[in-house]
Amino acid sequence: MKNLFKLALRGLMRNRRRSMVTLLAIAFGFAAIVLFAGYTHNVYDGLARQSIHGELLGHLTLSKRGMRKEGKLDPERYMLTASEVSSIAKALKDEPHVVLVAPRLGLSGLISNGRASTIFIAEGIEPAAVVRLRAGSLTEQEKKSGMFESMKMRLDPEHPEVASLSSGLVEMLHLSVGGQAVVLANTLTGQANALDITLGQGFNTGNANSNDKFAFVSLDLARTLLDAEGRADRLTILLDDVNQTGAMRDALLAKLNKAGFDIEIQTWQELSDFYTQVHGMFDMIFGFIFSIVLTVVVMSVANSMGMTVIERTREIGTLRAIGLKRGGVVRLFTTESMLLTLIGCATGLLIALGVRWGINMANISYTPPNSPSPVPLLVDMDIGRTLFTFALMGAVGTLAAYLPARRAAQKDIIDALGHV
Amino acid sequence: MSEQGAAILKLRNIRRRFMLGETSIDALHSVSLDIQAGEFLAVWGPSGSGKSTLMNIIGLIDAPTDGEVHFGEQDTRVLADDELTEFRGRKIGFVFQNFNLVPVLSALENVMLPLQIQGVAVHEARKRAAAALQDVGLAKFGNSLPDKLSGGQRQRVAIARALVVEPSLVIADEPTANLDSENSRMVVELMREMNRSKGVTFVFTTHDPRLLDHVDRKILLRDGNIVSDEVMA
Repeated sequence: MKNLFKLALRGLMRNRRRSMVTLLAIAFGFAAIVLFAGYTHNVYDGLARQSIHGELLGHLTLSKRGMRKEGKLDPERYMLTASEVSSIAKALKDEPHVVLVAPRLGLSGLISNGRASTIFIAEGIEPAAVVRLRAGSLTEQEKKSGMFESMKMRLDPEHPEVASLSSGLVEMLHLSVGGQAVVLANTLTGQANALDITLGQGFNTGNANSNDKFAFVSLDLARTLLDAEGRADRLTILLDDVNQTGAMRDALLAKLNKAGFDIEIQTWQELSDFYTQVHGMFDMIFGFIFSIVLTVVVMSVANSMGMTVIERTREIGTLRAIGLKRGGVVRLFTTESMLLTLIGCATGLLIALGVRWGINMANISYTPPNSPSPVPLLVDMDIGRTLFTFALMGAVGTLAAYLPARRAAQKDIIDALGHV
Repeated sequence: MSEQGAAILKLRNIRRRFMLGETSIDALHSVSLDIQAGEFLAVWGPSGSGKSTLMNIIGLIDAPTDGEVHFGEQDTRVLADDELTEFRGRKIGFVFQNFNLVPVLSALENVMLPLQIQGVAVHEARKRAAAALQDVGLAKFGNSLPDKLSGGQRQRVAIARALVVEPSLVIADEPTANLDSENSRMVVELMREMNRSKGVTFVFTTHDPRLLDHVDRKILLRDGNIVSDEVMA
């Protein structure tokens, strides 16, 4: 039927109140899903940027094979040599999407202000690499919120002794910017070595568990402290596109293995347990909410269409008498149901956009678990999940009318015509 | 339209049995009947005589328990459901006692409906529906919804809807039952006029003996049997 859509649309207008109630149930359900998907998208995006840029993980981390498992017990064996560092950096320099290859050196030991000492864990990295890695860590909206000011850290390329200490550590040692401390660590050969550092800036790690022990030092200072001239325990690789992470890992691994380097490369997702755990948890909650909303939508549409079909039994009999086939009856009501669902989803999208705008403009903040500072509550548009929900709800909403429509189509014409 | 005088419908030994719980009731007993093309035929009789059952079988919306229905050369028993529906849509028009117009469609859209079900293009369907409405004197009411029309006007829209597909046969089951006497007379006169001008065969049922004056042939049913079959002079 050419006018199937018109007839279906007019059918929806027939009992406006019922159609409106069903439509609103669909709309609010859809809006809830879109908003939650947008919120989780913002959280995933924030966590990803926090991992890649904030925690300076970069997109890829290259190390000698076994470094991650055995490196702590035998760091010298699993550390990249100076020639390996320069050869690999040279090999990766002209690779597409690679914008930075930064040697890193992890260390731990004691830090003292002359009166008190405590343990520290530090990352040695070139100051210029920090600047490059940190670029893009915050969105414009996050910068405006000012909530991340406390997470800034600074190293000085001219003065390798300048270090940034986590705010908990600064507080514990009663240090102020420009204040001196001493760091003590074992060299690769097991000798104790100590160096003076100057506090460049205190910063917040963004994680309560590390905020009282973490420090960033210049790569030069780390190499001197460990007596590891030119060496690195890993190379951090920054790409120009996060979506290339997997492909570039495979490509670089193949290239370097072929060149004879016995290395492994891990992605930022593999290294960021917190990101993976949060992602998994939110995915589960999303699935739970999605299932509930979908069930409500199906029940609403099925109930609405069931009542519609009963009310219009005589009309179905008339249409069948004047030549509409059983399949046509099913198509008519499933089309009506599909329109109802799609209009409901479209309305839900508008509601979601309005609420999202309101939330994003309201400057709401909250403190997530394990976070030392509040973060802004922002809602993105997760286009992928929105389209998926739109398509799935449309399909399920359409199918919800199938059974009542089929039952009506199977009814004898004379029974349908005699229906009161 | 069919050639005047040729039998367009043949019923042979039609029996229709309904089951009401454990009880079976024969609404029609071995009814045989030929309907000629171009006839204007009334089936009348008291309530429960089997008029509607006979009309349903003639209209191919019900199947007999026993017996044969031939529409032209077509034995309708061999048609599958979809084939029968398509056949019915092209060959038979229906006028119902309660008009049975789709309330959310205008008069014109209601008349277009059977054509659109057959897949006729919208502009062509609109043209033919407008002509059909003009034939029944409702050209000005094309945009009116059924609830804005009087009972007589609604039934005329229903007649236009039945005629728009240019059927061989129009079935009208108690088309005047919900109309006053003046509108009843007008509706029957309109059907008669369409029968004469377009050569369409009309079969209708009625309780009202006054309407039988207009017909070519009247069949009296009682207790599921044809008691008399009179061709009027």
